[in-house]
Amino acid sequence: MLSFRSIPCDTTVCRGSSSRHWSRPAPSSYHPVVPVERAAPAGRASLRWVEQLRSDHPRNAETAAKLHDVLHRAALHELHRRRGQLAGLSGPELDDVAQQCADDAMMKILGRLDDFEGLSRFTTWAYKFVIFEVSSKVARHAWQRHPPSAGDLTWDQVPDALAPRPADQAERREQLATLTDAIEADLTPRQREVFVAIALNDVPIDVLALQLDSNRNAIYKNLFDARRKLRASLAAAGHPIEGEEAA
Amino acid sequence: MTDLHELDELLRAQEGDAGCDAGIPIMDQYVDIELRGEDPSERFPGTAIHLRVCPGCRADHDGVLEAARRFGELDPE
Repeated sequence: MLSFRSIPCDTTVCRGSSSRHWSRPAPSSYHPVVPVERAAPAGRASLRWVEQLRSDHPRNAETAAKLHDVLHRAALHELHRRRGQLAGLSGPELDDVAQQCADDAMMKILGRLDDFEGLSRFTTWAYKFVIFEVSSKVARHAWQRHPPSAGDLTWDQVPDALAPRPADQAERREQLATLTDAIEADLTPRQREVFVAIALNDVPIDVLALQLDSNRNAIYKNLFDARRKLRASLAAAGHPIEGEEAA
Repeated sequence: MTDLHELDELLRAQEGDAGCDAGIPIMDQYVDIELRGEDPSERFPGTAIHLRVCPGCRADHDGVLEAARRFGELDPE
């Protein structure tokens, strides 16, 4: 039986942007803190990061600056990696977005130092924050510049992806016809909207989530359920899909 | 679509998929396991399945992995 395990939203990392900006904290007197527990997989460097990022550590300011610097470089690199979704942004604008990502990640990291359990390297944990910031900002930028069109979301005509080709065999044509009917008859309106946009029209999942005022996990759940229903519909009509990942 | 494989991809919905939210808290652990040359699917099978299917989560995973490889484990000293 298929299952989609819905796990409560993580409390240690939040997506989205923050209007606050990180700034170097003022130095304060140092009071040693107890190292994090359960830190077996994390090395001494990770423990030093956590300890020195405490506001009362004498090396707090330079440690925070060093972390911010690498977060900024990681954000810039990630923005370049995702530049396909960033049409219209380059040079100083891209660097400004990277700065915002590093600032927002820094705020969250400093606010959640106590959540670091030492189950990974501290730097990997920190990179996660900044990559999620980049992911969120890239999706928002793409959505603002190119929101999904009505044609991307509605099912008023059969998309090219489901249109039989002249060379298709009769069985193939029947399969596609069954799938087309199932999309219309067996899916809920939301499942149909999500499946048509993501699976048939390649709308990025985060862009669709913004368009529908939802979130990635909820949209993915709709997509998963839609795919499962369509597989079942095809199987019931005598056209099972028996690939390696078949339901 | 040209063949059954493409249709299978289009309708991919695999048992045990952990979903998007499950990967958020463990993404750093998942990546560190990979960096050690081990198989993260043994410890996080549901997320391993999910990352093969969800392009959004896969992009985030690839970004964390790339950052960890490129910028490494720095020391604050």
